[in-house]
Amino acid sequence: MPEGRPTIRNHIRRLRFESGELSQEELGKRCGVTRHTIMALEAGKYSPSLLLAFRIARAFGTGVEQVFEYGDIGNPGRPVS
Amino acid sequence: MTDSEKWSVWTLGVIALTTTAYFIFVALRGHGPATISVFALTALVAINKRSFRSVIGPRFDERESEIARKALLTSFRVMWLAVVAGFVITGHIKGWDTTLSLPMWKLAEIFWWLSMLMLAVQAGTTLLLYRRGNNA
Repeated sequence: MPEGRPTIRNHIRRLRFESGELSQEELGKRCGVTRHTIMALEAGKYSPSLLLAFRIARAFGTGVEQVFEYGDIGNPGRPVS
Repeated sequence: MTDSEKWSVWTLGVIALTTTAYFIFVALRGHGPATISVFALTALVAINKRSFRSVIGPRFDERESEIARKALLTSFRVMWLAVVAGFVITGHIKGWDTTLSLPMWKLAEIFWWLSMLMLAVQAGTTLLLYRRGNNA
């Protein structure tokens, strides 16, 4: 049984950087959400719906698993089975 | 700051203003039927265009909708608790066989206080969820 609270981590900040410093505003526009929601996602304060997760992945031209990671706070880096 | 946060700050300000005006009015004029006129100040909530943000403004995104829904639910829960607590406490103090005779203006005042409580909880919860994150 996993220890700690399961959480969804993401690599949005890194992917924005790799996409030529794509702004939060622009990413929000592409995904149909506000800049505040992108900020909350990057800060780990919000876990997106499946639909939004796919939209974000599509905005970066990559797969959902390259953007989001289902992990365990107690064991960072270890995916929850 | 999002429109919902601005609405929350405005609403809390209106509630603080109304509460202050209420106590000043009671101190100067006494507690009577005219007291409920002070609650007209809560109409200031409606002059803020953000009060209609979900109707005439841009569509909420999924996080904003979730926060708005949670804040509204919390306000209803608190109102329900306040109503139950009000009945239980009154019953224990006055006795469960007591017949209450209440002037209409006092009933209206109770309604106004409940409305203000709901608005305050809704606004406070909205601010809290935006700051702490709605997964907190």
